[in-house]
Amino acid sequence: MSVLRSGARGRWLLDRGTPWLLLVPASVLVIVFLVGPFYYMGYTALTDLSFADPDRKGAFVGIDNFRRLFVEDDIFWASLGRTLRFVVAAVGIEFVLGFGLALLIHRSIRTPRAVLTLLMVPMMLAPVAVGLLWKLLLQGDFGMVTHYLRALGILSRDSSIFSDPALVMPAVIAIDVWQWTPFVTLVVLAGLMSLPREPFEAATMDGAGPWRQFRDVLLPLMRPIIALVLLLRVIDAFKEFDKVFILTGGGPGTVTELLAIYTYRVNFKNWDLGYGAAVAFMVYLMVLILCTIFYKAVYWRSNRPAGAS
Amino acid sequence: MACETQWKGLVRALGIVAVLWQVPHLAGAWTLEEAAKPYRGMTIRTIGEALPPLEAMKAMAPEFTKRTGIKVDVEMYEHSEAVNKVMLDLNARRARYDFILQPHRELGKFVANGHLQPVDRFLADARLRDPSFEPDRVLYPALWREISWYKGKVYGFPFTALTMYAWYRADLLNDPKEKAGFKAKYGYDLHAAKTWKEYRDLAEWFHRPDKGLYGTAIQGKRHEALWYEWLNFLYSFGGDVLDVKSGSDCGPVIVNSPAAVESLEYYKSLMKFSPPDTLNYFWDDVMALMQQGKVFELIMWNDATYAVAEDKEQSTVAGRMAFDVLPQGKGGATGQVEGWSYLIPAYSKKQQAAYLFIQWMMAYDQQLKQHLNGGASARPDVYAAADVRKLAYSKASMETNEVARPKATLPQSAEMTDIMVRELSTYLAGQKSAKAALDTSAKDIAKLLGACAPLKYPVP
Repeated sequence: MSVLRSGARGRWLLDRGTPWLLLVPASVLVIVFLVGPFYYMGYTALTDLSFADPDRKGAFVGIDNFRRLFVEDDIFWASLGRTLRFVVAAVGIEFVLGFGLALLIHRSIRTPRAVLTLLMVPMMLAPVAVGLLWKLLLQGDFGMVTHYLRALGILSRDSSIFSDPALVMPAVIAIDVWQWTPFVTLVVLAGLMSLPREPFEAATMDGAGPWRQFRDVLLPLMRPIIALVLLLRVIDAFKEFDKVFILTGGGPGTVTELLAIYTYRVNFKNWDLGYGAAVAFMVYLMVLILCTIFYKAVYWRSNRPAGAS
Repeated sequence: MACETQWKGLVRALGIVAVLWQVPHLAGAWTLEEAAKPYRGMTIRTIGEALPPLEAMKAMAPEFTKRTGIKVDVEMYEHSEAVNKVMLDLNARRARYDFILQPHRELGKFVANGHLQPVDRFLADARLRDPSFEPDRVLYPALWREISWYKGKVYGFPFTALTMYAWYRADLLNDPKEKAGFKAKYGYDLHAAKTWKEYRDLAEWFHRPDKGLYGTAIQGKRHEALWYEWLNFLYSFGGDVLDVKSGSDCGPVIVNSPAAVESLEYYKSLMKFSPPDTLNYFWDDVMALMQQGKVFELIMWNDATYAVAEDKEQSTVAGRMAFDVLPQGKGGATGQVEGWSYLIPAYSKKQQAAYLFIQWMMAYDQQLKQHLNGGASARPDVYAAADVRKLAYSKASMETNEVARPKATLPQSAEMTDIMVRELSTYLAGQKSAKAALDTSAKDIAKLLGACAPLKYPVP
């Protein structure tokens, strides 16, 4: 009887306990590598810790770092503005191009596998490799792309992309577009391939033309996919560091000093870790706010009751 | 006769006494092998910038291992990486490195945070110190004090005495046709520039972009290289960053003085004779341009000279280069020094073994060998060696070492550098005027350093 009972208890434990047990490794990883460091960053942001100044050993300073950030730090706000412009331009272009390309492939290529493999190459490269690659291609003296741009008369002989404050940010955006448009294409294409045919057939029977079908059938059906792809790209672009650091180091001047580069400078050039943590915390907070607004906006539209305008 | 015999006996006896007196000294004579015995089998690890001086040191280390049984593990990284890795290691107190090779602008920060072991302890230890090693006699005294001392205490020895001086294409400078043409246009003989006006004349004369030759190459990227390069102009025009005697002193901020503004405006005026990608160049880029023979003149580091002037495998202009001290302005003969030093972390468990290696590297033979393979020794006797004197850049290097000026080694020096790099770059990019960029630098530096660094030139 007792054996039976203990067997039942064991089975109960196995049934109820296994899911929790299986969650342990992932939970430990998340706590150690995400939650823990995040709270530590939050704590550090409230201290004066500096590796450079021996008098600042990490004493609690309350919200002093945040006050300095909001009131005194013009560079932070300038970097934030620059980052937002970068995100809007890069992600906007990537989305339009990526969506268009996905539609084109979906409608005109029966077996898109070969095209997709080719398209995926830039996306598969590490951002540092992309930075180094384009640094060479756009190098002002012997860069291959620079050579052809000059030969075609697009770039003057006494100009160079990374030395011209007017050209450098568009170039950085173009490189980001080159790398990440395929990602948008891939996700959107997967969405297009999974759409049901019936709504389109019904729309055709109702006399809807291609534009109406695109606007009133395809886009609403694709909304979750669009939201997902934009969300991922906005988060990623907001944190852009590697490519820009390799390509320009934030210069010339402050033309390409994005928020992530500024955060790096505060933390790892000046070793002002307390303030650097406050800057990093603000970056996190802004990404979070941006994503929440964005997510709510998209899902608010898709969850509206039918007929609401 | 008896007297002669007695005299001979006395001399012999004295000889025997003299020999006997020497015996204990001979028995205890310092040898590297003996000093290293307690540390045999150890591995000491170091880190530095991946450049010819470190490559030369790495190539020489097996000889030390053979004599002492102490293995030397060398990690080589790009400049910023080498600095950042050390900073993280020291703050984590991991003791990964038993000695480190670092630029002297980092010194104050390390000392103030207690990361370094002063070396006077080793110098006073008869078991470790080679009696023939007399750093105060064999090193450039001012240079050693500036790059390896902090507030009167010695923390290491110069790994490289890095200075910058003017590089020219000797073949073009000595070309009779060029000489005649130059004289006809400028009214004086073609020679290495003695003044900044002459330097600009040379850049203008040889600026022939249609033929793939540029007058000069400015290191205009937003990078430490920009700041280092401009300091040559700043000092030479009579300016400075702080009004102090030594790099470890704090004092009034003068980086926005009229001389500084003038130097910065002159510096930018050279950009029109530089290749179009000039705002994307740092030291590696301009060195490559020089190796390819695309530039007539520039101001560059001595540890990069070998790869351009001597190394025929890497350089198309090897054997065709000339070097000279910087042109002079109101600041007179000057140069800037940024030595890298051998330093011993306070947390290393193998400090004695590390000291023995450093001491061995500082000896004349090793210094000579390292210098001939791309090093930049801080020993004047190395520059006097016949093989070194044959090197085209020795004279310029030696003369610059003698007049090189210190820069801040305060704990805040890295942040000061970052402020200036940002502002210099904004000026070169046309985002600000020279005066506005230097005023911002002065204001930010004064704020960073606090009460010890008032503004000498008020900022509007």
